[in-house]
Amino acid sequence: MRPVYVLGVGAHRWGKFPEISQRDLALDALRQALGDAALSMSRVGGLVAASSRFEGGLGWGLHANEILQSVSEHGAAALNVGGGCAAGANAVHAAAMMVASGQCDVVAAVGAEKMPKGFIPRPPGAKDDPTDSDYLRWKLMGATNPVYWALEARRRMHDFGTTAETFAAASVLMHRHAVGNPRARYRSECTVADVLASPMVSDPLRLLGICAVSDGAAAVVLGTEAEARRRGGVMVRVAGSAMATGLYGDPATRVPTVATMPQPGAVHTSEVATAARRAMSQAGIGPVDVDVLEIADNSVWQVLAWPELLGFAAPGEADTMLLRGDFSIGGRLPLNPSGGFLSFGEATTAQGVLQVCELAWQLRGEATGHQVDGARIGMSAILGLGANGASIVLSR
Amino acid sequence: MTPIVPGIFETQDGSTRLLTSRCAGCGSHRFPRGSRCTNPDCLDKALLDDRLSGSGVLYSYTLQCYQPPDLFPMEQWAPYIIGIVEFPQGVRVMGMVRSVDPSALRIGMSLRTDVETLATTASGDALSTYVFVPSEGGAP
Repeated sequence: MRPVYVLGVGAHRWGKFPEISQRDLALDALRQALGDAALSMSRVGGLVAASSRFEGGLGWGLHANEILQSVSEHGAAALNVGGGCAAGANAVHAAAMMVASGQCDVVAAVGAEKMPKGFIPRPPGAKDDPTDSDYLRWKLMGATNPVYWALEARRRMHDFGTTAETFAAASVLMHRHAVGNPRARYRSECTVADVLASPMVSDPLRLLGICAVSDGAAAVVLGTEAEARRRGGVMVRVAGSAMATGLYGDPATRVPTVATMPQPGAVHTSEVATAARRAMSQAGIGPVDVDVLEIADNSVWQVLAWPELLGFAAPGEADTMLLRGDFSIGGRLPLNPSGGFLSFGEATTAQGVLQVCELAWQLRGEATGHQVDGARIGMSAILGLGANGASIVLSR
Repeated sequence: MTPIVPGIFETQDGSTRLLTSRCAGCGSHRFPRGSRCTNPDCLDKALLDDRLSGSGVLYSYTLQCYQPPDLFPMEQWAPYIIGIVEFPQGVRVMGMVRSVDPSALRIGMSLRTDVETLATTASGDALSTYVFVPSEGGAP
């Protein structure tokens, strides 16, 4: 396996863009990433697309073939990967493997999404199928995604004594980080009182404690060491990248299932925990080595629970770490300096690619306004529908 | 009453039970029925029809305050509780929790499975779903 480097990164703004097609969002992100890599599209030997759920040609979701056929017919390999909201990270992982294996010298990964308004519904055209849990959860009880996070949050309050104020403080931190990030969609600072005054969505989670949905697109160009030297600048390497699926007996209340069969000692959110462990192992690092961590904070529950699930804190310890500033920029473990999903809104399959862009900007020292000083190792972790998890470690 | 989705629960003699598949190899229950045993260490994989006990304990809960998308046919929508109930068979099942004020909910309290009409079709058919309600006697 050859070492793999980040040659370029780019992202379209996050927001609502009814006038821009999904493909054009993807092309914009791709153009920025190629510009950053100082490469033309014709140099891309492979293009990996994170297949979206909600829009895209030929009924496949966003796909690499369509992008290539619309801008550069040069015979590049096209690969389309699923994985729900983890698809973006899966795409980066696949691109890294295509370079590492020697198949291609330059490979781009792209994710773009245009989200329906409101609660994330079933994908368009989904059949009424009693064996499909995404049908059952709507039909039997009308459970929205925030219900799942709220059930975890309520149980955390029971298990560890987490308070509504601490959950609110997690939202405050994510929004404070976003104030310094011009790319974030929501950049207003908020207070604990503001969060507690926002409408209750699914008790104990309030509107400012869950992520919105957004349109957005991000792209990463990966390549060989020779290509990285040609580009110049800070050499950012893909030190680890891994995918995983869930383990039997995982007690997590997973969207969109309606039941769990927990087994004694089973790992919670095992798809993400396993991917993170694999990525760290590849990189030869442990949690103590990570300078910046970007996680999928669909709600304030994840802000507290994930650092524990991924081995950065003992169970129940994250509340104290948050409140004493460990997760702040400048703290012991800067968490989502970008502002996270809470400040961007989730553009599902684009999110895992955006996390890697953010890590690259941090490691290069280009995260103006929200820079983690001297960051050398960055890690991402993301969860996707269907028990998909992925994690990427970058180092310089 | 017609179950809004077939094969999920059944009511006999006034008692409602959730329908599971039990693995003949490792004994684990799965809800809903028909899904395969996914225990990687289990080689048997033969599934037997079974049911969960009539009651269990509350594992967690939430009050859903916004109306979900159209697929959920609840008439006269109002915020409602969704909870997770842990059954003696080791299965935790999500469902609506009824006949209790949110402020009276306690993790660990005993709940039993019941059935409730969600909506009536144009032809007058009552569509029902399973719900969880406090067990007689209240606390476990």
